[in-house]
Amino acid sequence: MELKGYTGNILNVNLTDNKITVRKQNVDDIKHFIGGLGINTKIAAELIKPNIDPLSPENYLIIGVGPLVGTITPGSSRTVGTSKFPATGAIAYSCGSMSFGFQLKNAGFDHVIISGKADKPVYLLILDNNIDLIDAKEIWGQDIVESTHFLQKKHNNCGVIAIGQAGENLVKSSLALIDRTSTFGRGGLGAVMGSKNLKAIAVKGTLGVSIANPKKFNELFSNLLERIKNYPQRESWHQLGMMRSLPVGMLLLDSGQKKKARQCNERFYLRKLKKRRIACPSCPMGDKDILQLQEGSNSGLLNYTSSIINPALMFTLEDLINFDEAIKGYDIVNRYGLDSLTITSLLKFCTILYEKGILTEENTGIEWKTDYNTLIKLIEIITYRKEFGNLLADGWKKLAEAYNSIENEMLTVKGLDIIFEPRILRLGTMEFEQVVNPKGAHVASGGSPTYIGAGSSIEKFNIHFSRMGIPKSAISRIFTPPLEEMVVNIGRLTRYSEDWYTVLTSVGLCARAQMNRFYGLESTTDFYNAITGYNMQPEDLRIAAERTWNLIKLLNMKEGFSRKDDKFPKEWFNPLKFGDKILKFQDFFGQTIITPEIANQLLDDYYDERGWDKITGIPTQAKIRELGLEKFQFINN
Amino acid sequence: MVKESIINILIDEERCTGCILCKLWCSYIHHKIFNPLKANLEIKDRYGLAPKIIFLDTCIKCGQCVQHCLYGALRLKEEDN
Repeated sequence: MELKGYTGNILNVNLTDNKITVRKQNVDDIKHFIGGLGINTKIAAELIKPNIDPLSPENYLIIGVGPLVGTITPGSSRTVGTSKFPATGAIAYSCGSMSFGFQLKNAGFDHVIISGKADKPVYLLILDNNIDLIDAKEIWGQDIVESTHFLQKKHNNCGVIAIGQAGENLVKSSLALIDRTSTFGRGGLGAVMGSKNLKAIAVKGTLGVSIANPKKFNELFSNLLERIKNYPQRESWHQLGMMRSLPVGMLLLDSGQKKKARQCNERFYLRKLKKRRIACPSCPMGDKDILQLQEGSNSGLLNYTSSIINPALMFTLEDLINFDEAIKGYDIVNRYGLDSLTITSLLKFCTILYEKGILTEENTGIEWKTDYNTLIKLIEIITYRKEFGNLLADGWKKLAEAYNSIENEMLTVKGLDIIFEPRILRLGTMEFEQVVNPKGAHVASGGSPTYIGAGSSIEKFNIHFSRMGIPKSAISRIFTPPLEEMVVNIGRLTRYSEDWYTVLTSVGLCARAQMNRFYGLESTTDFYNAITGYNMQPEDLRIAAERTWNLIKLLNMKEGFSRKDDKFPKEWFNPLKFGDKILKFQDFFGQTIITPEIANQLLDDYYDERGWDKITGIPTQAKIRELGLEKFQFINN
Repeated sequence: MVKESIINILIDEERCTGCILCKLWCSYIHHKIFNPLKANLEIKDRYGLAPKIIFLDTCIKCGQCVQHCLYGALRLKEEDN
């Protein structure tokens, strides 16, 4: 039977022996794992052997798109990359967007499996059925913007995943960019590509995507488009993009950086920074930016960003004076294929260590400050692994080993730096997720009502619970926290946020709040059925998501991860001096201080809600049987 | 700059985001497949600094693309009056 929504094809590329083959998707896999993240994970479970070096030819890079990708379903341009990540050693995933997934689907593939290592730098070119590995000598050593420009010019505006110099030099926090804009691979996917001598993947498709039930699809699509058209905040999203999402100006104001806050307001953004708004294929809420500096020493500089928040967060470095310094620093980070969040955290942390006398000019060659020159120096020495940068390029774990007194002060989980600071934002699912995510301090809980700005009343919580498809039987448990005044049990809620995120990431929908707010488990299932012709129930999708998340956990159990690694950063339990304020680790409603005992109870509750063993933090035999994952439990042992 | 096309549609390329909702709908409604290459309009340099929206000779002036542009890059002339 011809598949709809899916292409049914998986492309295998072995870089070692230059062998390219295509195989068909297994329909049973589709029903059990849906697509995108789900099927990527199934493939990883079958192929990645435990305890391999992530930067060895034995590692795999699996790229996948879900069944909705390539259609006009709003916000359906998600690309998922699965691999063993060098920053943490976890088998995990990362997501990006822009045009790559859309083009891959149009070229006739749902997944690409890349293995081995090329004997010289190459890029993979996919033009429908014409697939080739091409010598990358013209772009090896070039930055991501230059490489992407070269490939798009040469191959007719193809979708491009490319790495920069950081990936080539195996920096463990390096990532790739899709179409020079969307970050792809926090945690070292750039280094995985670099270790394979794979500079880029370029894809252009001409085949199109057909669907099973146009009549039903038209009804669903026109209703959804009407809702989106009538969304009162749509215009301001179009105008401000991610500036709407996090008030960085307020953050700067609260942290005592009043003069800088003026440079991070909406007026400044619109007048001095924003050049163009761009959107992924099918996205009606476009929030990506082309920025252009209008003044200052870097006037005229163009920068492509998937989120204005990233350079804005870099601007929180105290000694950066002008926003154009942050944009310039951020632009170099992007071009080299570094992670702006990690670079920002590292500079802050190294400066603290310098002030304490642990790092010195003698042992690092740097007089550490959070200013522009030090930022640029840090970027250079990490990217090219020079001097002290060689240690930093190997990640937080190696830094902790070199200075063993500092680990407790690091704001990291499993070797990845945190994104959301709960002492500023309080403890929602985004903050808690960083502790339990198998990858490390990563976030997979978009869509939860604790997401910034998504509402804070019980009524709103209940609306979101229903939308996310949380079973009614779980609601009373979610409203039973360790202390009554906390109102909501973030540990238990995080389990369902992860499941909802996994549904979105498996079908191919955007997980950003401004997009996924228009979807619920039921409507997502309706779109899925209209596109594929299957007759799945909402609960089938949720269980497939749960199965996927449990399989990710099982894979990482084999890598040696357990509850001992799901550790709240110790520093969270200490007060944070923030401007004139002293901030403490509080629950979501700010009713109580989170102590280590309460944090542990929330972990217990998370494992309990997942059906995992509380002592080890891994899936129980009963849960493994319930989800039909028995055969993966001992795979490759 | 807002331009007037031959088919009574105002084009404001500065507002185009490259989302290609217009092209996807055009190919779907006329060819029953989501394939931007089959659409009756083109967007050149859609992620560049100055995208260009061009209606092809195959366009039948149905105006469906306008209904699916949520950014105001395509508007029916009457809407402005």
